[in-house]
Amino acid sequence: MLVSWKYRPRNTIIQRLDPRSRLIFLACVILGITIPNIWDIRLIFPLFLITVGLYLLARIEWKDVRRTWLFIFILIFFIVGLNGLLSGRGGPTSVMQDTSAPLFSIPLFIPGTTWGFVLKITIVRVFFAMTQIMRMLSMAILAIPIPYTMDPNIYGITFRRMGVSDKVSFTMDLAFRFLPTLARDLSITIDAQRARGYEMDSLKGGIVARLRRLAPLIVPVTMQSTVTGEEVIDAMDLRAFGTAPRTWIRALSFAPRDYIFMGLGLAIFITFLVFKFVFGVGEFWVPPEALAWANG
Amino acid sequence: MADAPLVVENLSFQYRTRPEVAIKDISFELHQGEMLLIAGSSGCGKTTLARCINGLIPRSYRGKREGSIRLNGKEIADMPLADVAQVVGTLLQDPERQIVASNVFSEIAFGPENLGLPRDEIIRRIDQVLKRLKIEYLRDRETFNLSGGEKQKVALAGLLVMQPSILLLDEPLASLDPASAHEALEIFRGLADEGTTIILIEHRVEDAISARPDRLMYMEDGQVRYLGGIEKLPPEIDHHKVKLPASWVVERIRALGERMDYVPPAKLKTDSDPLVVFNHVNFGYNEEKQVLYDINFQINRGDLIAVLGPNGAGKSTLVKHAIGLLKPTAGQVLVEGKDTRKMSVAQVARVLGYVFQSPTHMLFAPTVKEELAFGPQNLEFPKAAIDKSVRESVETVNLNGLEEYPPLGLSFGQQKRTTIAAVLAMQSKIMVLDEPTAGQDYANYTRFMDAMCGATERKKSLLAENFAATMFITHDIDLAVTYANRVLIVSAGRLVADGRPEDVLKDFDLLERCRVRPSSLLRLNLEMFSQTGSFMPAEKLAQYLP
Amino acid sequence: MEKKSLWEFGTRQVVYGAIGAALYGAFSLLTNLVPLPAAGNITFRPAVAILIFFGVAYGPWVGLLAGFIGNTLGDSLAGWGFYWNWSLGNGIMGMIPGLAMLMIQDYKDKMDIAKAIGWGVAGIAVGILFSSLTEMFVGGIDLNTALVGYFTPAFIGNLVVTVILLPILMIAFAAVNARRGR
Repeated sequence: MLVSWKYRPRNTIIQRLDPRSRLIFLACVILGITIPNIWDIRLIFPLFLITVGLYLLARIEWKDVRRTWLFIFILIFFIVGLNGLLSGRGGPTSVMQDTSAPLFSIPLFIPGTTWGFVLKITIVRVFFAMTQIMRMLSMAILAIPIPYTMDPNIYGITFRRMGVSDKVSFTMDLAFRFLPTLARDLSITIDAQRARGYEMDSLKGGIVARLRRLAPLIVPVTMQSTVTGEEVIDAMDLRAFGTAPRTWIRALSFAPRDYIFMGLGLAIFITFLVFKFVFGVGEFWVPPEALAWANG
Repeated sequence: MADAPLVVENLSFQYRTRPEVAIKDISFELHQGEMLLIAGSSGCGKTTLARCINGLIPRSYRGKREGSIRLNGKEIADMPLADVAQVVGTLLQDPERQIVASNVFSEIAFGPENLGLPRDEIIRRIDQVLKRLKIEYLRDRETFNLSGGEKQKVALAGLLVMQPSILLLDEPLASLDPASAHEALEIFRGLADEGTTIILIEHRVEDAISARPDRLMYMEDGQVRYLGGIEKLPPEIDHHKVKLPASWVVERIRALGERMDYVPPAKLKTDSDPLVVFNHVNFGYNEEKQVLYDINFQINRGDLIAVLGPNGAGKSTLVKHAIGLLKPTAGQVLVEGKDTRKMSVAQVARVLGYVFQSPTHMLFAPTVKEELAFGPQNLEFPKAAIDKSVRESVETVNLNGLEEYPPLGLSFGQQKRTTIAAVLAMQSKIMVLDEPTAGQDYANYTRFMDAMCGATERKKSLLAENFAATMFITHDIDLAVTYANRVLIVSAGRLVADGRPEDVLKDFDLLERCRVRPSSLLRLNLEMFSQTGSFMPAEKLAQYLP
Repeated sequence: MEKKSLWEFGTRQVVYGAIGAALYGAFSLLTNLVPLPAAGNITFRPAVAILIFFGVAYGPWVGLLAGFIGNTLGDSLAGWGFYWNWSLGNGIMGMIPGLAMLMIQDYKDKMDIAKAIGWGVAGIAVGILFSSLTEMFVGGIDLNTALVGYFTPAFIGNLVVTVILLPILMIAFAAVNARRGR
């Protein structure tokens, strides 16, 4: 079993950006949405368009991300649906005072009983769900490309240059270094146990029995790594690890495009704050026309 | 006069957690450019001595240290570890564990980065070191994909970049095949000639002397038993504990007047119906990367096959086909007449048992008994049969009394025997061993191989007694000389030789083409073949000399 | 080897933090190979038991780093993306059992194993609660949804994995330590 990183070098503007500016942009967007608690689709939709634009600029091949998107869509619809079912309440309170007439109703009863309730779909609820999905997708769209577009070799230095300590940053690099080795150990162990008649694809029994049957794979790899660690510690001490502030041979530098990009992130953050706290715009919003239409 | 690079005086050390003294009263000094070979079996104290010299003792390992070690006149215990690291560079046994970065450039940069050197200086030094070791072509490679020999060179580069005046090499040959080991020794010699002081710790004295060390130190029980030139060795140096050249062993045996009971492996038979057949087997992981080309051979009853070849030649891939872990992309493998494509790995396991190189890759159970029962349970033996099988295999490999003991808590040699017993308990017909001697020092592995393969006039060997045929993958040519009745040589994915050891191994041109290095034992056996008529260990050869 | 101190942060913690994280990543690959039962929304991630084990064996820093980096690696390998709140939640999941490091004297003793499981479960609860609650703010879902949709399935899955696999790892570790003589 070989570790295959999702990362490929691509000649795109996104990959030419400094990784720090991308993480800072991500932080700006997350904080911009959550601190002022923005629920107005008039603000969310433009943000959504910006994130989609950035996603397209990353030029990730569709076949690579198909499965991920499927998973994300299922999760988001499940969560949004569940949220609607359980309460119909999100952050904003306007849904509670939902006085709009139902568009249609879905009876949810356990068959043959009177247990259950009628779920009334109203225009407010529809808009709420739409806003919520768009809000979640904006985040996912920013989060998904990271493994595909950020070289694993620069995670350590990225964190270092964002103020994280030498040791913690190096832990990141060391983890990347060991991953393929441990994955190979795991595949050797799988082979070794299969040669003893162990069959992975036909684990029998209930959950407990099946989990117990993983011990022949988990125990050897984990225990060997505890032994390996002792030698790695010696090897690193012998090369003066942790004795002085480190030089990091890889360099990161901001280019003008990075300042523009971070500026965009900051602008989004500030815009959202200003709208909410200066103009009072940002609460959940339904176009009055739609409400009027629904209420006949 | 300047101080000697290294002076050790009356050095003793006892680990805090152990009752006995690890090293006792060791004194010696080294000059610039001198190469010292330190030999001894495991537990002789050589690792402890190394830890004292590189400063891990007394920093990382606590205990009672007496005496002194001075680097260029300065006591090592008083120096910061960062300073010691710039004087003594330590190459650990397994480069895999020494390499801490994902690519070669960052790996070499690691030490200087930790010292906080300026970036330009680091880059300049890296380029220098890459050139010095002639590995410029590796600069941008990922460390994970390097071969064993390349990994070691990169690890060495990561030390040289810190410009140490002393190199401490701890069993540097252990993870290399003989051809790469020889290359590494040439590099060490070159470094010594350029003025680096080298301490080479190695139990494979036979190989290590080709680096022409100036002196040899032999250790036993934490003490120095011999320290001097390598031309004339005293009988204190025990050929059971370290691997000496065959001619030295012969001399020593004759001096001591020892006799050895050795029965050569049974002669090769060809007339039985084959257990395993390889029929034009080709294999590749994908279109571009073909690994095996048109492999044809059979495993017959009575075979003791040694599969030789350098790392990466395709030995393991070939054997994985025999046990059904891999299926050929073209051609077929028949196990007892059945195509492995139509069999599960578990079904093949009833015929071929495979012992992987490292016991730690397979041991997991809380007791030896459960470990041994794992295979038979998977094969759905009835309960009574499992108990019987486990009992018998414990008996056979002599693990009596350890049945309730956790295998992960056993010594390496006991673990190795547990893995053998685990396969024995499955009652397979063919035993396949991957690098049976790897990871053990010479004393332990000869003891292990004797236990497995040693026969007497009255009793067949353990393997011959329990298995219809045995196959071991190895790059130790002496195993083929001593224990095999058939040799396969795999080179670049092809089976290039298949025959009796005495026929295959006399073709030195072939061996060289396949990166298989003849050993002193093989040479001596070939010289004396007209007298002996068969291959044998050095101890036995001694009896044929006048 | 050394007298242990709970909050020490040196080479040892860096190495085991990294190894723990890499194991977490490697075993997330295993999940693609071995079909494990999934009851509804509950997924069983065997790697979680390894994370808790690393916390218990090597302390809170190692648990935190192994969880944070390990989850980042796992999401990265699977191609899901980078979700800081779940990575941090995993970090907490490893860190809390790390607080119990000094309480564990004998890895094969029943009482000590029970202690480790208790701290592990506490870590799982707090860690997943953290991630689920942050989803409330980011995703704009209410508390019930966060608890039913995120917290409960992940908590139950990780709990079961830990109760079953942590004791096996601890008993094996006791044997390895006995051999090392430390």
